Amino acid sequence: MEEIKGAIALIGYGLAAIGPGIGIGIVVGNAIQAMARQPEAAGLARTTMFLGIAFTEALALIGFVLFFIA
Amino acid sequence: MDPLILASECDPAKEIICAPTNVIELFQFDEALFSIGPMDFTRTVILTFLAMFIVIGLLYFAFRTPRVVPTKFGAAMESLVLFVRDDVAKGTIGPDGIKYAPYLLSMFLFILVANLFEVTPFINFPLTSRMAIPLFLAVLTWVIFVFVGFKKNGISYLTGIIWPKSVPVALRWLVGLIEFFSTFLLRPITLAVRLFANLVAGHLMLTLLLGSGWIFMSAIGDIGIRSIIGLPWFVFGLGIFVFELVVAVLQAYIFTLLSAVYIQTSVHPEH
Repeated sequence: MEEIKGAIALIGYGLAAIGPGIGIGIVVGNAIQAMARQPEAAGLARTTMFLGIAFTEALALIGFVLFFIA
Repeated sequence: MDPLILASECDPAKEIICAPTNVIELFQFDEALFSIGPMDFTRTVILTFLAMFIVIGLLYFAFRTPRVVPTKFGAAMESLVLFVRDDVAKGTIGPDGIKYAPYLLSMFLFILVANLFEVTPFINFPLTSRMAIPLFLAVLTWVIFVFVGFKKNGISYLTGIIWPKSVPVALRWLVGLIEFFSTFLLRPITLAVRLFANLVAGHLMLTLLLGSGWIFMSAIGDIGIRSIIGLPWFVFGLGIFVFELVVAVLQAYIFTLLSAVYIQTSVHPEH
Protein backbone atom coordinates (compact mmCIF):
# COMPACT_ATOMS: atom_id res chain seq x y z
CA MET A 1 0.00 0.00 0.00
CA GLU A 2 2.86 2.32 0.78
CA GLU A 3 4.25 2.54 -2.73
CA ILE A 4 1.02 3.88 -4.30
CA LYS A 5 0.41 6.46 -1.58
CA GLY A 6 1.24 9.41 -3.82
CA ALA A 7 -1.07 8.16 -6.55
CA ILE A 8 -4.03 7.88 -4.14
CA ALA A 9 -3.47 11.44 -2.90
CA LEU A 10 -3.38 12.70 -6.48
CA ILE A 11 -6.67 10.96 -7.29
CA GLY A 12 -8.15 12.45 -4.14
CA TYR A 13 -7.13 15.91 -5.21
CA GLY A 14 -8.58 15.32 -8.67
CA LEU A 15 -11.89 14.24 -7.14
CA ALA A 16 -11.88 17.26 -4.83
CA ALA A 17 -11.44 19.57 -7.79
CA ILE A 18 -14.50 18.31 -9.73
CA GLY A 19 -17.19 19.84 -7.53
CA PRO A 20 -15.62 23.29 -7.17
CA GLY A 21 -14.86 23.33 -10.90
CA ILE A 22 -18.53 22.88 -11.72
CA GLY A 23 -19.53 25.25 -8.93
CA ILE A 24 -17.26 28.09 -10.02
CA GLY A 25 -18.52 27.63 -13.57
CA ILE A 26 -22.11 28.05 -12.40
CA VAL A 27 -21.26 31.03 -10.19
CA VAL A 28 -19.32 32.92 -12.85
CA GLY A 29 -21.75 32.05 -15.62
CA ASN A 30 -24.72 33.35 -13.68
CA ALA A 31 -22.79 36.44 -12.58
CA ILE A 32 -21.97 37.25 -16.21
CA GLN A 33 -25.61 36.76 -17.12
CA ALA A 34 -26.65 39.11 -14.32
CA MET A 35 -24.11 41.72 -15.42
CA ALA A 36 -25.25 41.48 -19.03
CA ARG A 37 -28.90 41.82 -18.13
CA GLN A 38 -28.41 44.64 -15.67
CA PRO A 39 -25.14 46.49 -16.31
CA GLU A 40 -25.90 49.08 -13.62
CA ALA A 41 -25.76 46.32 -10.98
CA ALA A 42 -22.44 45.00 -12.27
CA GLY A 43 -20.49 46.11 -9.18
CA LEU A 44 -22.80 44.26 -6.82
CA ALA A 45 -22.79 41.17 -9.01
CA ARG A 46 -18.99 41.21 -9.16
CA THR A 47 -18.59 41.41 -5.37
CA THR A 48 -21.08 38.63 -4.84
CA MET A 49 -19.37 36.59 -7.56
CA PHE A 50 -16.02 36.81 -5.79
CA LEU A 51 -17.69 35.78 -2.54
CA GLY A 52 -19.29 32.79 -4.24
CA ILE A 53 -16.02 31.81 -5.87
CA ALA A 54 -14.18 32.08 -2.55
CA PHE A 55 -16.67 29.84 -0.77
CA THR A 56 -16.71 27.31 -3.59
CA GLU A 57 -13.01 27.08 -4.20
CA ALA A 58 -12.31 26.41 -0.52
CA LEU A 59 -13.23 22.76 -1.11
CA ALA A 60 -10.67 22.37 -3.88
CA LEU A 61 -8.03 24.07 -1.77
CA ILE A 62 -8.71 21.76 1.18
CA GLY A 63 -8.20 18.87 -1.23
CA PHE A 64 -4.95 20.46 -2.37
CA VAL A 65 -3.70 20.80 1.20
CA LEU A 66 -4.72 17.24 2.03
CA PHE A 67 -2.69 16.08 -0.98
CA PHE A 68 0.44 17.36 0.73
CA ILE A 69 -0.56 16.11 4.17
CA ALA A 70 -1.42 12.59 2.96
CA MET B 1 18.43 32.03 -2.93
CA ASP B 2 20.72 30.09 -5.15
CA PRO B 3 18.82 28.38 -8.00
CA LEU B 4 17.43 26.48 -6.38
CA ILE B 5 16.78 24.29 -3.43
CA LEU B 6 14.74 22.06 -5.67
CA ALA B 7 17.75 21.40 -7.86
CA SER B 8 19.96 20.05 -5.11
CA GLU B 9 19.21 16.46 -6.12
CA CYS B 10 18.93 17.16 -9.83
CA ASP B 11 21.41 15.98 -12.42
CA PRO B 12 20.08 17.01 -15.84
CA ALA B 13 22.71 15.00 -17.69
CA LYS B 14 21.31 11.69 -16.47
CA GLU B 15 17.72 12.27 -15.37
CA ILE B 16 15.12 14.09 -17.43
CA ILE B 17 12.87 14.73 -14.44
CA CYS B 18 13.98 17.05 -11.67
CA ALA B 19 11.91 17.26 -8.53
CA PRO B 20 12.50 18.51 -5.03
CA THR B 21 13.09 15.70 -2.58
CA ASN B 22 10.66 17.32 -0.20
CA VAL B 23 8.40 20.24 -1.05
CA ILE B 24 8.40 21.47 2.53
CA GLU B 25 12.00 22.57 1.95
CA LEU B 26 10.69 25.34 -0.28
CA PHE B 27 8.83 26.93 2.61
CA GLN B 28 11.16 26.38 5.54
CA PHE B 29 14.00 28.53 6.68
CA ASP B 30 15.02 26.91 9.93
CA GLU B 31 18.45 28.40 10.33
CA ALA B 32 18.33 31.74 12.10
CA LEU B 33 20.12 34.56 10.36
CA PHE B 34 20.78 36.30 13.67
CA SER B 35 19.37 36.27 17.18
CA ILE B 36 18.48 38.90 19.74
CA GLY B 37 18.31 37.19 23.11
CA PRO B 38 16.01 34.17 22.90
CA MET B 39 14.41 35.40 19.66
CA ASP B 40 15.67 33.92 16.42
CA PHE B 41 15.33 35.99 13.28
CA THR B 42 14.72 33.75 10.29
CA ARG B 43 13.94 34.93 6.80
CA THR B 44 10.20 34.73 7.49
CA VAL B 45 10.44 36.93 10.59
CA ILE B 46 12.48 39.54 8.77
CA LEU B 47 10.01 39.58 5.89
CA THR B 48 7.13 39.99 8.35
CA PHE B 49 8.77 43.07 9.80
CA LEU B 50 9.58 44.30 6.29
CA ALA B 51 5.90 43.97 5.30
CA MET B 52 4.90 45.89 8.40
CA PHE B 53 7.34 48.73 7.70
CA ILE B 54 6.30 48.88 4.04
CA VAL B 55 2.63 49.27 5.02
CA ILE B 56 3.43 51.92 7.63
CA GLY B 57 5.71 53.73 5.20
CA LEU B 58 3.14 53.69 2.38
CA LEU B 59 0.45 55.17 4.59
CA TYR B 60 2.79 57.66 6.26
CA PHE B 61 4.31 59.07 3.10
CA ALA B 62 0.95 59.19 1.31
CA PHE B 63 -0.90 61.12 4.01
CA ARG B 64 1.97 62.93 5.77
CA THR B 65 0.89 66.40 4.70
CA PRO B 66 -2.74 67.10 3.82
CA ARG B 67 -2.92 68.61 0.34
CA VAL B 68 -5.75 70.13 -1.65
CA VAL B 69 -4.41 68.52 -4.80
CA PRO B 70 -2.88 65.18 -3.84
CA THR B 71 0.22 63.84 -5.53
CA LYS B 72 -0.13 60.86 -7.85
CA PHE B 73 1.09 58.50 -5.15
CA GLY B 74 -1.22 60.08 -2.59
CA ALA B 75 -4.19 59.79 -4.94
CA ALA B 76 -3.43 56.13 -5.59
CA MET B 77 -3.23 55.34 -1.87
CA GLU B 78 -6.37 57.38 -1.28
CA SER B 79 -8.32 55.36 -3.80
CA LEU B 80 -7.11 52.17 -2.10
CA VAL B 81 -8.18 53.43 1.32
CA LEU B 82 -11.54 54.64 -0.01
CA PHE B 83 -12.06 51.30 -1.73
CA VAL B 84 -11.63 49.38 1.52
CA ARG B 85 -13.65 51.90 3.54
CA ASP B 86 -16.57 52.46 1.18
CA ASP B 87 -16.81 49.30 -0.88
CA VAL B 88 -15.72 46.67 1.61
CA ALA B 89 -16.50 48.06 5.08
CA LYS B 90 -19.53 50.26 4.41
CA GLY B 91 -20.80 48.27 1.45
CA THR B 92 -20.81 44.98 3.32
CA ILE B 93 -21.43 45.84 6.97
CA GLY B 94 -23.60 48.91 6.47
CA PRO B 95 -23.28 52.47 7.79
CA ASP B 96 -21.69 51.39 11.08
CA GLY B 97 -19.05 49.47 9.14
CA ILE B 98 -16.88 52.57 9.32
CA LYS B 99 -15.80 51.38 12.79
CA TYR B 100 -14.17 48.31 11.31
CA ALA B 101 -12.53 50.12 8.40
CA PRO B 102 -9.14 50.61 10.17
CA TYR B 103 -8.89 46.91 10.98
CA LEU B 104 -9.93 45.86 7.48
CA LEU B 105 -7.59 48.37 5.86
CA SER B 106 -4.52 47.37 7.84
CA MET B 107 -5.24 43.70 7.23
CA PHE B 108 -5.82 44.29 3.51
CA LEU B 109 -2.57 46.19 3.09
CA PHE B 110 -0.53 43.72 5.13
CA ILE B 111 -1.84 40.71 3.20
CA LEU B 112 -1.40 42.55 -0.07
CA VAL B 113 2.25 43.32 0.64
CA ALA B 114 2.88 39.85 2.04
CA ASN B 115 1.31 38.26 -1.05
CA LEU B 116 3.17 40.51 -3.44
CA PHE B 117 6.46 39.32 -1.95
CA GLU B 118 5.77 36.20 -4.02
CA VAL B 119 6.32 38.08 -7.27
CA THR B 120 8.90 40.55 -5.98
CA PRO B 121 12.27 39.79 -7.55
CA PHE B 122 14.99 38.74 -5.07
CA ILE B 123 12.42 38.01 -2.36
CA ASN B 124 10.19 35.51 -4.19
CA PHE B 125 8.65 34.15 -1.04
CA PRO B 126 4.98 34.75 -0.18
CA LEU B 127 4.83 35.39 3.52
CA THR B 128 1.31 34.02 3.69
CA SER B 129 2.45 30.58 2.55
CA ARG B 130 3.54 29.90 6.12
CA MET B 131 0.39 28.70 7.89
CA ALA B 132 1.19 30.69 11.04
CA ILE B 133 0.47 34.05 9.43
CA PRO B 134 -2.89 33.42 7.69
CA LEU B 135 -4.01 31.40 10.70
CA PHE B 136 -3.17 34.24 13.07
CA LEU B 137 -5.04 36.74 10.89
CA ALA B 138 -8.03 34.40 10.66
CA VAL B 139 -8.08 33.91 14.44
CA LEU B 140 -7.97 37.69 14.83
CA THR B 141 -11.05 38.00 12.61
CA TRP B 142 -12.69 35.18 14.56
CA VAL B 143 -12.12 36.92 17.89
CA ILE B 144 -13.51 40.17 16.50
CA PHE B 145 -16.69 38.75 15.00
CA VAL B 146 -17.47 36.58 18.04
CA PHE B 147 -16.84 39.53 20.37
CA VAL B 148 -18.97 41.86 18.25
CA GLY B 149 -21.75 39.27 18.09
CA PHE B 150 -21.93 38.90 21.86
CA LYS B 151 -21.60 42.65 22.41
CA LYS B 152 -24.36 43.60 19.99
CA ASN B 153 -26.82 40.80 20.67
CA GLY B 154 -25.88 39.40 24.06
CA ILE B 155 -26.47 35.71 24.66
CA SER B 156 -29.09 35.64 21.90
CA TYR B 157 -26.20 35.62 19.42
CA LEU B 158 -25.31 32.12 20.54
CA THR B 159 -28.88 30.90 20.95
CA GLY B 160 -29.79 32.34 17.56
CA ILE B 161 -27.12 30.13 16.02
CA ILE B 162 -27.73 26.86 17.88
CA TRP B 163 -31.55 27.24 18.06
CA PRO B 164 -32.56 29.21 14.93
CA LYS B 165 -36.11 30.53 15.18
CA SER B 166 -36.71 30.71 11.44
CA VAL B 167 -36.44 26.93 10.98
CA PRO B 168 -39.20 24.37 11.73
CA VAL B 169 -38.91 23.01 15.29
CA ALA B 170 -38.16 19.45 14.24
CA LEU B 171 -35.08 20.53 12.27
CA ARG B 172 -33.73 23.15 14.64
CA TRP B 173 -31.22 20.90 16.44
CA LEU B 174 -29.76 19.70 13.13
CA VAL B 175 -29.49 23.15 11.54
CA GLY B 176 -28.20 24.53 14.83
CA LEU B 177 -25.48 21.89 15.01
CA ILE B 178 -24.35 22.55 11.43
CA GLU B 179 -24.46 26.30 11.96
CA PHE B 180 -22.52 26.06 15.21
CA PHE B 181 -19.69 24.10 13.62
CA SER B 182 -19.59 26.14 10.45
CA THR B 183 -19.58 29.45 12.34
CA PHE B 184 -17.16 28.78 15.14
CA LEU B 185 -14.91 26.11 13.65
CA LEU B 186 -15.00 26.04 9.87
CA ARG B 187 -15.03 29.79 9.27
CA PRO B 188 -11.55 30.54 10.65
CA ILE B 189 -10.09 27.33 9.22
CA THR B 190 -11.38 27.90 5.69
CA LEU B 191 -10.45 31.57 5.87
CA ALA B 192 -6.86 30.67 6.70
CA VAL B 193 -6.60 27.66 4.39
CA ARG B 194 -7.96 29.61 1.41
CA LEU B 195 -5.22 32.22 1.61
CA PHE B 196 -2.52 29.71 2.55
CA ALA B 197 -3.28 27.15 -0.16
CA ASN B 198 -3.57 29.74 -2.93
CA LEU B 199 -0.15 31.14 -2.15
CA VAL B 200 1.44 27.72 -1.63
CA ALA B 201 0.12 26.57 -5.00
CA GLY B 202 1.38 29.70 -6.69
CA HIS B 203 4.81 29.52 -5.08
CA LEU B 204 5.17 25.84 -5.97
CA MET B 205 4.18 26.42 -9.58
CA LEU B 206 6.54 29.36 -9.97
CA THR B 207 9.44 27.55 -8.34
CA LEU B 208 8.99 24.34 -10.28
CA LEU B 209 8.44 25.96 -13.70
CA LEU B 210 11.05 28.71 -13.50
CA GLY B 211 13.47 26.48 -11.59
CA SER B 212 13.32 23.52 -13.94
CA GLY B 213 13.43 25.83 -16.94
CA TRP B 214 16.52 27.52 -15.61
CA ILE B 215 18.22 24.24 -14.69
CA PHE B 216 17.70 22.78 -18.15
CA MET B 217 18.72 25.91 -20.02
CA SER B 218 21.85 26.42 -17.97
CA ALA B 219 22.90 22.79 -18.50
CA ILE B 220 23.25 23.33 -22.26
CA GLY B 221 26.92 22.34 -22.17
CA ASP B 222 26.13 18.97 -20.61
CA ILE B 223 23.00 17.84 -22.42
CA GLY B 224 23.19 19.78 -25.68
CA ILE B 225 20.06 20.16 -27.78
CA ARG B 226 17.85 18.55 -25.14
CA SER B 227 18.14 21.68 -23.04
CA ILE B 228 15.58 23.36 -25.32
CA ILE B 229 12.94 21.63 -23.21
CA GLY B 230 13.66 24.24 -20.55
CA LEU B 231 12.52 27.11 -22.75
CA PRO B 232 8.76 26.38 -22.80
CA TRP B 233 8.85 25.76 -19.06
CA PHE B 234 10.48 29.12 -18.49
CA VAL B 235 8.00 30.97 -20.75
CA PHE B 236 5.08 29.17 -19.12
CA GLY B 237 6.50 30.14 -15.73
CA LEU B 238 6.61 33.79 -16.75
CA GLY B 239 2.95 33.54 -17.78
CA ILE B 240 2.11 32.10 -14.36
CA PHE B 241 4.08 35.00 -12.87
CA VAL B 242 1.54 37.48 -14.25
CA PHE B 243 -1.31 35.24 -13.13
CA GLU B 244 0.10 35.15 -9.60
CA LEU B 245 0.11 38.95 -9.54
CA VAL B 246 -3.67 38.83 -10.01
CA VAL B 247 -4.06 36.04 -7.45
CA ALA B 248 -2.09 37.98 -4.83
CA VAL B 249 -4.32 41.04 -5.12
CA LEU B 250 -7.50 38.98 -5.39
CA GLN B 251 -6.73 36.87 -2.31
CA ALA B 252 -6.03 39.96 -0.20
CA TYR B 253 -9.37 41.36 -1.35
CA ILE B 254 -11.24 38.12 -0.69
CA PHE B 255 -9.75 37.75 2.80
CA THR B 256 -10.80 41.30 3.67
CA LEU B 257 -14.23 40.90 2.09
CA LEU B 258 -14.93 37.65 3.94
CA SER B 259 -13.81 39.19 7.23
CA ALA B 260 -16.28 42.00 6.61
CA VAL B 261 -19.03 39.51 5.75
CA TYR B 262 -18.38 37.52 8.93
CA ILE B 263 -18.49 40.70 11.01
CA GLN B 264 -21.71 41.68 9.23
CA THR B 265 -23.40 38.38 10.13
CA SER B 266 -22.52 39.05 13.76
CA VAL B 267 -23.79 42.62 13.71
CA HIS B 268 -27.06 41.74 11.98
CA PRO B 269 -27.57 38.01 12.66
CA GLU B 270 -31.12 37.99 11.28
CA HIS B 271 -29.95 38.31 7.68
